[in-house]
Amino acid sequence: MSDWSEATLERARQIIARYPEKRSAVMPLLYLAMAEEGWLTDHAIEQVAELLDLTPAQVQSVASFYTMYKREPVGRYLISVCTSISCMLCGSDDVLHAIEDEADLPAGETDDDGLLTVEHVECLGACGGAPVVQVNYELIEGVTPEKARELVRWLRNATPAVVNTDEMQELFGGRRSFDWAIPTEDGAVGPYPAFQPYGTVGQDRRS
Amino acid sequence: MTTEQKTDTVKITVDGLEMEARPGDLLIRVAQDNGVYIPRFCWHPRMRPVGMCRMCLVQVEGPRGPMIVPACTTPVADGMVVDTQNDTVAKAQEGVLEYLLINHPLDCPVCDRGGECPLQDQTMAYGPGESRFVEEKRHYEKPIQISELVLLDRERCILCARCTRFSEEISGDPLIEFIGRGYNTQVNTFPNEPFRSYFSGNTVQICPVGALLGAPYRFRARPWDLREVASTCPHCSAGDSISVQVSQNEVLRLLGVDNPHTNQSWLSDKCRFGYEFVNSAERLAAPLVRGSDGELREATWVEALDIVADRLGGILREHGGGAVAGLGGARGTNEDAYAFSKFMRTVVGSNHVDARMDDAPASQFLAAVVDRARIDDIDSAATIVVWGPDLKEEHPTLYLRVRAAATGFDPNQVVSNSDGLKIRRPGARLIVMHPRRTGLDDVARHVLRYRPGAGGELLTSLQAGDHPEIDEALAAGPVVALVGRASMTEDPRLAENVAAWLRDKGAKILPLARRANTFGALDMGLAPDLLPGRVPVGEGFESWGEIPTTVGRDTRGILEGLRDGDIKALIMVGADPVADVPDSHLATEALANAEFVVAIDMFHTESTAYADVILPALGFAEKEGTVTNLEGRVQKVNDIVAGEGQSRADWSILDDIARRLGKELGFATAAEIAKEISEVAPAYRGITWDLLEWDEPMGAIVPYGDATQPLQYVPVTTSLPTVAAEMVLHSARTLYDDGVLMRHTPWLHRLAPGAAAYLHPDDAFRLGAREGHRVRVVTKHAEAELEVRLDETLHRGVVYVPFNQPDGPRLGSDPIVRVTAIG
Ligand code: SF4
Ligand code: FES
Ligand code: FES
Repeated sequence: MSDWSEATLERARQIIARYPEKRSAVMPLLYLAMAEEGWLTDHAIEQVAELLDLTPAQVQSVASFYTMYKREPVGRYLISVCTSISCMLCGSDDVLHAIEDEADLPAGETDDDGLLTVEHVECLGACGGAPVVQVNYELIEGVTPEKARELVRWLRNATPAVVNTDEMQELFGGRRSFDWAIPTEDGAVGPYPAFQPYGTVGQDRRS
Repeated sequence: MTTEQKTDTVKITVDGLEMEARPGDLLIRVAQDNGVYIPRFCWHPRMRPVGMCRMCLVQVEGPRGPMIVPACTTPVADGMVVDTQNDTVAKAQEGVLEYLLINHPLDCPVCDRGGECPLQDQTMAYGPGESRFVEEKRHYEKPIQISELVLLDRERCILCARCTRFSEEISGDPLIEFIGRGYNTQVNTFPNEPFRSYFSGNTVQICPVGALLGAPYRFRARPWDLREVASTCPHCSAGDSISVQVSQNEVLRLLGVDNPHTNQSWLSDKCRFGYEFVNSAERLAAPLVRGSDGELREATWVEALDIVADRLGGILREHGGGAVAGLGGARGTNEDAYAFSKFMRTVVGSNHVDARMDDAPASQFLAAVVDRARIDDIDSAATIVVWGPDLKEEHPTLYLRVRAAATGFDPNQVVSNSDGLKIRRPGARLIVMHPRRTGLDDVARHVLRYRPGAGGELLTSLQAGDHPEIDEALAAGPVVALVGRASMTEDPRLAENVAAWLRDKGAKILPLARRANTFGALDMGLAPDLLPGRVPVGEGFESWGEIPTTVGRDTRGILEGLRDGDIKALIMVGADPVADVPDSHLATEALANAEFVVAIDMFHTESTAYADVILPALGFAEKEGTVTNLEGRVQKVNDIVAGEGQSRADWSILDDIARRLGKELGFATAAEIAKEISEVAPAYRGITWDLLEWDEPMGAIVPYGDATQPLQYVPVTTSLPTVAAEMVLHSARTLYDDGVLMRHTPWLHRLAPGAAAYLHPDDAFRLGAREGHRVRVVTKHAEAELEVRLDETLHRGVVYVPFNQPDGPRLGSDPIVRVTAIG
């Protein structure tokens, strides 16, 4: 039935055990599935459905509603540029174009090597530091078009195993709005969030 | 529950009209019950409200002035003042419709729904008449096939969530769901999983636009060309109410009708799409007689009937009435069954007659059990016991009813309490006994799986109190028990014992037997021990004069009699014993050995191959009459198409034979038979067509006070394998199978699961067979090579082979089999 590793299945069982109703665990399990396979394959959806006694259609419904669940392969680095109002007023269009140009990728697509994915997203809740960019959900504030190009080149050349806010903010960020509440010392190891409100990947630093 | 009610009724005012309602009832329902129609798309009276479409906006006077609220999610409160038609409401309705139509393709001229489409109608009635949106509409691939029976046109969908709610709340198999969000939201299935639900057709019926389409009806008719008549579904004994829709003398569509006592508007896909046989090219159109060369040839009615009368007359003169037997009658009307019963008793003089095909429990149990539950009782039961067939496979709408009760589903439920939490009525405690997984297990509180053949043992242990949790559930309050035969390899008397035990525990019983009018046929006396109106054979039944007084033989006895030569002739009325009797080999031998066989049928069957004369019969939608469902509810069936070729009603064929034998049945129309039934059959006294058409359109329950039989404990055989090489066979029906009506309904026939050997993985391992491998199953009378499918819900040592599958084997009812791997 399953080809998830026993460790992942065990993690899944722990997550399920936290909820009075199994189906409530669907969102953390989807993150878990993304961490397992990088994106949500049909197979991952079926796996989650089976673990939760849901139909794959129900799980797909949830997975397709939220933009952070990817139903298509994503590059190793997912670059998300906020283009909502605050960021737009502070020049996010130029930042996005710079990234698209440097990465040679239109927003919404992934390059052939599976290294970079560029997307534009709605408000990331960091308007005070607009314009903002995320790499694998790790935030960089006060980004300029030049810094954005540097960021792309850095990802391509240095291919860091882990990206984290503090480091990238240092290298490519500008004005920072406030001290981020999300602890970042570990950083993200793939195109899925490392800050784990459900404690799905790595160590749950909140508990 | 937190919705404690202080007063019994509240008063509200809608458009100046005073209305009384129960507090908490939904405004849209209260208004409708009192004659004010509020337009709607997403609200459906049989499902929970969601407030998705906003079409039902009305104005309510609130403490801070008038508010626009959706009537479908607003519970009524005392003194509420509502306006459903003022300018503000009209403007809101126009806005909602304009918005809903932004992306709607307006392809009504090529849409099946055109002419009966709620979106079309309500746009006409409440729409703005013109749209301000000139932008390009959203596009999707035009209809995609989401199952063999259903197509989906996503461009037309208005995202009302009726289909998705039905699948989740009612049928419990949510295979269609919303995908995406906002502008890109669509309804669809999961890529690898088609909408293969037994109930998918309901979503076609309730879709308020033409987004979900039934493949069999697609492009077949326009609604204004259809004629329709109310009737009752011919596929199972639940007696679901339907509307039969016809164009140019062809049945084109069946819709579910909301009969609150039976199907509550729902149908299974077997009921809904199972009409193709009526129009089948294979229908018998003229009488057939077997010539001296052994070949069948067409004959005139006169010739064919003369032959029947001549041959039957000869056998009667020589051997007497006891040499003639009758089988069948469970697929027709009560009127036909009554005529058959009267023919057998008064013309032939024989009690060897049976409508059950050796696959149902005892006739006394089915016909005369007290206290018989009503289907309605399921809703208010604290505990429900299902010990019998998998309801999802044999009584699909009852399955929905039990499912709703077990999940505490209540469409009247107001969505939230003061904490904003969903309140759920606690569901009934459901107890399921069956040899393997059933459709209800996921909502059952207790599931007891047993080895077929060991049902008696399970019952003994239950009686001994080995299952305190079951005793506790049975003590918990009103108990309804649905009891039938769980496996063809099980002793048919087990059901009666189970019912006796449950009745001692205070349960009301709903007996189960699948064939549509089994209960009506038994009530008309198509059983060796019953006369019309549930009168036991041997008790006075003056109306019919001189009739035999000793109990006759049941189906098995009749077949054995034919095989052994004690019975010479057989009359089959819509009966196919070779396919329907579990011990097919016995039926085959019996028919082959019969001196004379006459079949009254709509089709050639495996059994008519042995007939000397075949007489073409009218079927569903071609004749008027009544049927009786498993709770004893009598309902009308009606004719709307002319019969195939020269086919005639069973009763009139039998009457013609009677006349040739010098007797008379004494009626000239089905209506006259109905009148006679209502006069002579005690339990049916007063149940006339007039009553059913005018006073009780949802059916009248046969009172069971007059003729009742105490349930008895009878010894049940338990069969256990004696050597390790032996296994136990479990044989049960599936919704779609190779039954004669399904065989001539290709849309459904191809959905039958097919013959296979289902094995517990441990057994498969032991045999060295994997999923997809083949094994040989050898029974006393047959053997078959079957594909292995794994089923971990079976007991070890059990092999399950679905009964009566296309190209499937006929393994018989003997439970002991040998299974070996091939190759
Ligand atoms: S397909 Fe029909 S029933 Fe389903 S959401 Fe769309 S409009 Fe409603
Ligand atoms: S608008 Fe970009 S973070 Fe809010
Ligand atoms: S019917 Fe009330 S919102 Fe749809």
